[in-house]
Amino acid sequence: MRYAALLALCAVFPASSGDSTTPVPEPPGFWSGPINSDVPATIAGGKVVHAAEVAKLIDQAHAFVIDVSNLPKRPEGMAADAPWLPLPQEAIPGSAWIPDVGAASISEQLDEFFRAQLHAGTNGDLDHPVVIYCHERCWLSWNAAKRAIGYGFRNVHWFPDGIEGWRAAGFRTETANPRLPSEHP
Amino acid sequence: MKRIVLMALACICSSAALAQGLDDEAAREARWTQLKQAIFPDRAMRDGADVLALEAPARALDAALVPLAITTTSVEPIKTVHLIIDNNPGPLAGRFHFGEAADPSTLKVRMRVNTYTSIHAVAENSAGELFVVEKFVKAAGGCSAPAGNHDPDALAEIGRMKLKLPSGIAFGKPVQAQLMIRHPNFNGMQMNQITRHYTPAHFIKTIDITYEDKNVLRVESDIALSTDPVITFGFVPQAPGHLKVVVHDSKDNRFEQSFEVPQPSVLSMQ
Repeated sequence: MRYAALLALCAVFPASSGDSTTPVPEPPGFWSGPINSDVPATIAGGKVVHAAEVAKLIDQAHAFVIDVSNLPKRPEGMAADAPWLPLPQEAIPGSAWIPDVGAASISEQLDEFFRAQLHAGTNGDLDHPVVIYCHERCWLSWNAAKRAIGYGFRNVHWFPDGIEGWRAAGFRTETANPRLPSEHP
Repeated sequence: MKRIVLMALACICSSAALAQGLDDEAAREARWTQLKQAIFPDRAMRDGADVLALEAPARALDAALVPLAITTTSVEPIKTVHLIIDNNPGPLAGRFHFGEAADPSTLKVRMRVNTYTSIHAVAENSAGELFVVEKFVKAAGGCSAPAGNHDPDALAEIGRMKLKLPSGIAFGKPVQAQLMIRHPNFNGMQMNQITRHYTPAHFIKTIDITYEDKNVLRVESDIALSTDPVITFGFVPQAPGHLKVVVHDSKDNRFEQSFEVPQPSVLSMQ
C-alpha cells in the first residue's frame, strides 16, 4: 500500500528533480538519516512551494511561516575564553523560529508545543496556509511539515529551497528569536 | 516556452545574487570586526601577505573535512597561528603554538565549516605583532554532518594515533610529519542515526607534541576540528629520538603515544 502511494507519486512527478541525478523517494515515516542530504521533490499531504509562491502566500493569505532550523547550543567543555557567537538567525520576515521540531523523533512536550504553536499561528483553522522551511538540502523542514500534516493541517506548504532559496530569489530577511517550550509553557 | 522561463529565472537570480553579494561583503566585514574585538581585544593587526599564506578550497567537497594549509615565510619567528572560521558558531577554530623544536613553515589541518564563510589566519610573532590573511570558502552543513558513517564504532579506538614521517630524515633539518588521531570529536550538533538524539559534545581540547622534551607544537582546539583529525606539522630533530604526543579531551581523557624517529639505516636510505 505504502509502495503503491510512492509509485503513484513518482508517476505524477516523473522528472520533477531534473537537476539531481537520482530522485529521492519519500520515506514512509520521518527521515532519520543525515539531515543535510538530498531531499524528495514531494511531500504527501502537502504542497511543495518556491520563493515567489511563499511571498504570495504571505502577502495574500497571511500564511503562518515557520523556520525549523537548528538552534546552535554552546557545547559543554569549551574553553572559557573561546568565543561562542552564532550568527544571528536570518529568517523570512514574520517567521516563527521553532527549532528541533524537524527531528525524526521529538519529546512529548515538544510535540505538544509545536501543535499549540501551529494552532495559535493559524487561529485554530486547519485550512489556514502554513509554510515550513529551514535550509536547502535539509530534511528538518520535510519532517516538520510531515508532522504538521499529521496533526491534521490541510494546507501545509513545504519550501525545500530554504532561506538560501529565499535570498537567492532576492527577498529580504529579518532576524528571528527562537521559540522554545521552556519559555512558552 | 520552458527556455524563456529558465532565462527569465536566470536573470532574476543573477541580479539578486549581485545585490546579495554587496550586502554579504558588508556583513562579512562587520562580522570580522566583531570577532577581532572578541578574540584580540584592542590589538593592532596588519596585512599578513608577506608573513603567511592560507590555502583553502573555494568550494569544499565535504564541509565536515575542509582542508586548510597555512604556510609562514616570516623572518621574525612565528610563535602562534590563530585560525578563525568567521561564521562558525564557535569561530575560534584553533590556536597553534610553535615551540623551540618546531618548523612553523607548514601547518595543515582539516576543519568543519558550517556555512559560507571567510576564514582568517592570524600569525603572531615573538614580538606580539599580529598579521592576518583571509580566504572565502563555500561550504555548508559541516557542523551537523554525522561524525563518519560508523557512530557506534567511533569510540572503539579513541585516542589511537599514527604518525607518518618522510623516508629520508636528515638530522638538524626540518621534517614534515603527519599526525592522525582517532577521535569522533563530537560537537554536540550531530544526530545519532540510531537513537535519533544529539550526541553529546566530546572533543579534543589540546594536543601537545614534544621531541625529546623540547616543545614542537601545542594545539588548542574544540568543536571545529574534524572527526579523526589529521595534522601536518614541521619539526627539527637534532638527533634520533622520540616524538611524544599527549592529547586531552573535553571528557578529561588523556591519550599519549610516542613515536621513534630512528637513525636512518643504510638500507632505508635507498
